[in-house]
Amino acid sequence: MARMSVEKFFAYYGENAALKNVTLEVPDQQVLALIGPSGCGKTTFLRSLNRMNDFVKEFSIEGLVTLDGVDIYSPDMHPVVLRRRVGMVFQKPNPFHKSIFENVAYGLRIQGIRAKSVLADNVEESLRSAALWDEVKDRLNDSAFSLSGGQQQRLCIARALAVEPEVLLLDEPASALDPISTSRIEELIQDLKTQYAIVIVTHNMQQAARISDQTAFFLLGEMVEMGETSRIFTNPSDPRTEDYITGRFG
Amino acid sequence: MGNEKKGSLSLFRRVRTVLLGFLTLAFFIVAVAPLLLIIWTAWDKGKSALNWSFVSTLPTGFPVGSQGGILNGIVGSIILVIVASSLSVPAGIWAGMYLWEEGTTPLARLIRLLSDLLLGVPSVVWGVVGFYVFSTSTGYGLHWGFSAMAGGLTLGFIMIPIVTRVTEQALRDVPLTFIEGSFALGASRWQTLKSIAIPSAMAGIGTGILLGVLNVLGQTAPLIFTNYYNTGVPSSLVGSQGAVGDLAMQIFIYIHEPSEILHTKAMAASLVLLGIVLFIDIGIRLMTWGSRKLYARVG
Repeated sequence: MARMSVEKFFAYYGENAALKNVTLEVPDQQVLALIGPSGCGKTTFLRSLNRMNDFVKEFSIEGLVTLDGVDIYSPDMHPVVLRRRVGMVFQKPNPFHKSIFENVAYGLRIQGIRAKSVLADNVEESLRSAALWDEVKDRLNDSAFSLSGGQQQRLCIARALAVEPEVLLLDEPASALDPISTSRIEELIQDLKTQYAIVIVTHNMQQAARISDQTAFFLLGEMVEMGETSRIFTNPSDPRTEDYITGRFG
Repeated sequence: MGNEKKGSLSLFRRVRTVLLGFLTLAFFIVAVAPLLLIIWTAWDKGKSALNWSFVSTLPTGFPVGSQGGILNGIVGSIILVIVASSLSVPAGIWAGMYLWEEGTTPLARLIRLLSDLLLGVPSVVWGVVGFYVFSTSTGYGLHWGFSAMAGGLTLGFIMIPIVTRVTEQALRDVPLTFIEGSFALGASRWQTLKSIAIPSAMAGIGTGILLGVLNVLGQTAPLIFTNYYNTGVPSSLVGSQGAVGDLAMQIFIYIHEPSEILHTKAMAASLVLLGIVLFIDIGIRLMTWGSRKLYARVG
């Protein structure tokens, strides 16, 4: 079943079309990987799913993006509500200048949750889901910047999970990390997909092959094809996809 | 140039490094020499007048000030800074936040332009405007007389653009990744500003307030037409009893008197003013540092 669906989606930076006529569905409880060479529009597409591009000057869109059937660009869906339901983790870990605890609690506090026990329970649960709890449970009041890069990224995932989103967008979440941290994040994504619809942008094709159920290949702002990851990587229907995954360009 | 040993820089680059080092040192000396000279001169000429009663008593004797201390000036300067800050800190921070939020709208551009123009208005012009708005007893205006309120608010208006621009810049220096991280969790603009941007920009905003306060402490021209001077302590903030002493003005007046003792006291008063500047500087730094720590804990 599709959680989000995108129909005939165009995105523009000023006059420049960054995405042309993209139609795809984000399946629930699966990992959808977006692959393609730099500048192909993957990240623009990802950021269109939770309206993070709203802050970009001269950015505009055409087409339809829905979450559970509701147009996310319509007045029926306030961006603040949308972003609580569609969480995002960025390429570079970006914890706030707060303690580990407060980083995770932030998303709840801004929803007006003040009760200490509720916050503490939620923070613990989120940190456990992000496989970070055991490493930080004794120093929740330390600054988030005392953590390593990989731990910071898992903290950012925990922070996103704390608000209980339905869809999780990951923008190359492991690209700034070492191989060990990367594999922890990948295991984590496998665990999380039982509860969330996950969309991940990645430059690393092995990673896409390892962790995703569906793969969509983007090229020059167009979505060339999308399908089961195993099929895309073994028997792509478009020659451009084949050229890309066999390393002929990109 | 290919004949140097591997691993060492070419002669040209080594000479350049040394030269630039000397140049840096020379500019440093040029920059700090005036400050050291001021402190030294004030200390050398004023130290004989410095004692506890100098900062704890009002000026008496003839000419006024030849006996007693400068308590009127200390109290007055503090009152003026408080009045000026109560206007300029909220207004300046609010305007800075607005410019950060609405950075590119035509209204924001206009405000930024006007703010820059205000920075360039000579302080004596501010004094004249302050006189017509606050002090004059005829025509339009608030008819507050020469008073702390009139002087302080005039100084406050001088301070607003400083606080505004520094606040805006401090907010702009907050990394975009923090801001996006907050929005991505479903925070509103206001929540992001309040919980993420402002705490991260606190040190910069503190610097803006500091610059404004120090500017106010050193101003005399705007006070000539709005407050002038008082040898006593005011009993009111407005009206005929509302004028306050002011350290900068006191120094200015003492230096103009043909009296050696007053010249000595003027020097001693500048030492006290420098001491207050240092005290406020450290105080604001501690406050901004403390508030960042607090925000980090309580979110």
